[in-house]
Parts: sequence; C-alpha cells; structure tokens
Amino acid sequence: MSAVIAAEGLEKTFRVQGREVRAVQDVSLSVKAGEAVGIVGESGCGKTTTARLLLRLEEPTAGRITYDGQDITALRGRALLPFRARAQLVFQNPFDALNPRFTIRRALAEPLRNFGIPVAEHDARIEAVMQRVRLTPSAAWLDRHPHELSGGQLQRVVLARALIPGPKLIVADEPVSMLDVSVRAGILNLLRAARDELGLAAIYISHDLALIRYVCERTMVMYLGWIVEDGPTAELIEQPLHPYTRALVAAVPVPRVEQDRAPLPIRGALSDKPLHGVGCAFRDRCPLAFARCEAETPLLRPTTTGRRVACHLGEAA
Amino acid sequence: MSLLSVRGLGVHYASRAGKVRAVDGADLEVPAGSILGLVGESGCGKSTFGRALMGVLPDAARIATGEIVFEGRNLLALSARGRRALRWRRMSFVPQTAMNALDPVQRLRAQMLEVLQERGGLGRAPALARAETLFRQVGLDPSRLADYPHQFSGGMRQRASIALALALDPALVIADEPVTALDVIVQRQVLDVMRDLQARLGIAMILITHDMAVVAYACDRVAVMYAGRIVEAGTAAEVLERPQHPYTMGLTHAFPDVHGGTSALVPIDGAPPILIDPHPGCRFAPRCPFAVARCHAETPVLASEGDHTVACFRAGEAPALRAAAAEPATWARS
Repeated sequence: MSAVIAAEGLEKTFRVQGREVRAVQDVSLSVKAGEAVGIVGESGCGKTTTARLLLRLEEPTAGRITYDGQDITALRGRALLPFRARAQLVFQNPFDALNPRFTIRRALAEPLRNFGIPVAEHDARIEAVMQRVRLTPSAAWLDRHPHELSGGQLQRVVLARALIPGPKLIVADEPVSMLDVSVRAGILNLLRAARDELGLAAIYISHDLALIRYVCERTMVMYLGWIVEDGPTAELIEQPLHPYTRALVAAVPVPRVEQDRAPLPIRGALSDKPLHGVGCAFRDRCPLAFARCEAETPLLRPTTTGRRVACHLGEAA
Repeated sequence: MSLLSVRGLGVHYASRAGKVRAVDGADLEVPAGSILGLVGESGCGKSTFGRALMGVLPDAARIATGEIVFEGRNLLALSARGRRALRWRRMSFVPQTAMNALDPVQRLRAQMLEVLQERGGLGRAPALARAETLFRQVGLDPSRLADYPHQFSGGMRQRASIALALALDPALVIADEPVTALDVIVQRQVLDVMRDLQARLGIAMILITHDMAVVAYACDRVAVMYAGRIVEAGTAAEVLERPQHPYTMGLTHAFPDVHGGTSALVPIDGAPPILIDPHPGCRFAPRCPFAVARCHAETPVLASEGDHTVACFRAGEAPALRAAAAEPATWARS
C-alpha cells in the first residue's frame, strides 16, 4: 500500500540566541495506511519537531513532504485546510487541550465547523465518535464541561476531537504521559482500536519504548536530530543495531524483579553543545566509536533484513 | 527493629467540602538500609504520606492520628525544634523537581556549604572537602560546584539535590518521584546512583513513585498505597511477583513491558475515591472485580504472613485471583 505521509531530506534549523540549533537533520520516512510508527528518543532529539513538520505546523528549512502522493511542502494557509482535516494531532496534556468554557458537544462540533462539514451531519458524527472512545451513553457526557471529567475521560475527548474530522493520519505526542497508570492502558487500547478499525496511519512520539512497543509495529530512533535506526519494533528492541538504540533499550526498567542491572553501554550525558559537522553525532558517547566515526557522517542505509541504520559498524568500508 | 515504623497515620486536609482524609490509617515499616518503593495512583495519598514523615505538610493539613517512630522516637511527640534538628541530619528529602530543593540564585557550592556548616557544624575547609566528596558520590564533577542550578541539565540537578540530601549522612532519604521528569537514560543513571549509595553507605530510602518498573528496578521492598492506606507491603519479589491484593494485581497488568510483546494491557476502571466521606468497607471494593458482600461492609486490616502483609479478605485465595486477574475480561466494566 502506498504511503499516507512521507518525507524526504527533511531539515529544520532554529536560531536560538544567534546560535544555530539543528533540530531535524536529513529525515526521510514514510507511514502507510493502517501502520503505526513510533519515534523515540530523549528530550531534544527532534522527535516533536519532526512531528510538527509532518503536520505542517512548522516550516521545514529543507526537504519535501508528501501526503497521499501529493507534494504539500509548498502549500500555505487555506490551501492546507483539506490536509489539516486529514492529519490530526492528539494533544499531550488533556487538561489544557480543551477550552474550559465549552461543553464536550461544542468541543467536538468546533472542528466539524472549521472543516466545513454540513451541520446536518454533526449529531451523527458526534454520536459515532463518542461510541468509538467509549464515552457512552453520549448523552451523559456531551453537556458537561471539561472540569467535570477525569484526566482519562478528558483524554478520550481529546482523541474524539482528533478523530471526528475523519483523518487519514493521526500524530500522538506523548499521548498518555499526563495520565495515571491505571487509565493509560485504556487510552492506548482505544488508540490501537481506532487505528485498526479506521485503517489510519499513526505516528506516536514518546520517550517510552515500552509504550511504543505496545502500540507500534515499526519504530524510529532519533538522536540529536538524526534518525539513527528504523525497523520493526520487536526486532529493534530485541536486536538493536545502533549503539544508541542498545543503550536506550538497556535503560528501560521492566516491571519484574529479575532484570539486567549492568552499567549502561553509553558514556557521559547528552551535551548542551552537540557535535555538528562531519562525523557521527553519537561518537562522543559511543563505547564502540573508532576513527571513521570522527571522519565521516554515517548515512541511514538499508540493511539486508529490511531495517535501516546509520552506523559505520558492520558497514562495508 | 525497623528504622521507621508508621502506625495508624491519619493526615486530614481542611477543604470547603469538608475534611479530606488524604492519609487514613496507614501502617508502614522501613528496615534500616533498604530501598522501599511506595507506589499507587495519583491521589492515593503517597506524597502527603511522604511529607508527613518529613514534617513538611502544607498549612491546610494536620496529622490527626497515629505515630511515626523513627530510630526509636515518636516524631509526632517532638517539638517543632526537635523535629527540625532531625531534618537533614537523620532524615532528608529529595523533591520531584530538583528546582524546589535548589536555590536558583545561589551557586551549588554556597548551598552545600550552608547545609554542611550551619546545619552540620562543619568548618569551611572540611565542609568544602565534604561537598566535593558528595558531588563525586553522585557522579558530578566537583568543579561544577561553582555553577548555578540553571547551568545544570535536569539529571544533574536531580543528582545535586540528592547530594544535598546526603550531606549530613542521614539514615533515611525520602524521594518523591525523583526520576519521573527525567529521560530514560538519565533516569537509569540517577537510580543507579541511589542504589549505589544505599549499597555503600547503608542509607535507607523511600522512593515514592507511580512507576512499577522503576520500583522493580531499584527497590528491595514495596508498599502499595490506595485511598490513604497501605494495602500491601513486602519484599519486591513477593509483592511484584506474587501480589495478594487485587489492586496490586491490577497495577501490574496496567504496565507495558518493553520486552513483553503486545499482550493486552488492562486498565483498572474508575478512579480512587474522594476521601471526604469514605464509604465503609474496603476502599478498593467499588473497583475490585473480586469484591464480595463483606468487602463493602467491613474494613480489612493488614495481616502478615511472614514478611508479606496485605489488607484483603480474599488474600487466602490469592493464587486463584492472580490467575483470574491476568484475564482482561476480569477487569472489563460490566
């Protein structure tokens, strides 16, 4: 199946106090209908900026974005409206994603109005989406205000608001990080079901690999703006190819007493002055770095097993 | 004997709607030199419990019942001054946001010296030497003592805040969600610092967290809190691998495991009760798939079997309940 959203050579450079910050560097990716892709990495790795670029909420410095095969990089303003209805963001913090003065009904009707959906269809759409997020019977919820709902219930409304225009792509940035453990599972299950039943392309942004494993078949790992590894989630976690992925996986605690407590295979800490220019961005923290990592930037290349990795190790010289 | 022994602790908040029993008869034992994870959902009372132990409750809260026996003395019988004398020296606190522990307009050196000289009575030279040792112990370069907190990353600030808590060699450190705001690699490094300090210096710690995986990684004991009470406690191996309370069973199934594949996670429907006018019986009964008539009428008390304590009328059937709790259908809303 062809890609719903794709990017080629995406770059974003911010200027912060006269200094260049390369938030996203040469990112190429694509997500198909019905596929859920995770983007993981530490704060500052560029995962949120990548998502905002794909949603056209941020202008890329370079690169190309296509939606449904059509180049949308040059579209501006009203010309983007059809795309906006098809590409929706699920907000991270349900406590401030909704206008406190609007009822749930109004919160759901607003996107329908914005995207020009006929008023005659509103009630049926609202009812259907409330069923989908399991806020039933809908009559018990629609006239309430956000402050009358718990965090988990609010996040269901936030999800409903993203689904109601009928998107082909949803992007969820840390969709459960603000929620209590006992309700996270419910939201993740809803996201999985929505993706399966509606055949959505989904992108999940998270620092939590365990969560990504639960909802995404494919995962990309970002480090300082670069995608360093991309592959099926289970393989990437069980047989990481990039030394950074290896450290990231090893750092995740598991909810079992028996677990690996060996020192992490990584040096130092994320620097506030990241390495730019020629060479691997991870070389100062990599326990396996060698001369070539200093001299040459590793490119994200496909492996024989259908994965992608940007590392000189195991690469034919 | 336990380093810390809490019995029947009740902490009430005054609110417009009435008295909120945030902690309502909590019992806990912390052996010397152990790391105890205190887990539960938000609103279960774990932060209030930690603050009550430290004697740093907000004005609206007061301790209504119980005793906190620390190193053989009931802290609640001490004067405010007596209490203050113990803080830093015998027990200290690491808050969730290191910025709450650190003064943004003072260099780290000045902050460390203040605690070491004024509270610890050290001279300037030994205090400086101690500050450098403490920084090294938590994996910070002593030259960074010259920095201000804003020059530190989140993980470094949390390390500095741990160094400050350790300054006067306390027997107990209470850390409230110390790694929640940190990235996973930094989180692991900070947890390793805590484990290392416990192993080398024999410091006991209470790690307040909602994250079962963090508890499994770092703690040798676990206490599970629900609606203001400890409902289950014991060694990490016992509580996490053979939970006896349905709430603990629910928490373990709500958590994704990075190596655990994609078997369904199961939410615990509903939310903790608002503790203004709690219903009689077990507080978890309204959400519990195994509740029977007695659970709604009578309050279960903590009972011990060896080192494992649990407050549940059906604890005797735990193996069968554990098997049922592993089935998602068990937790589905009827």
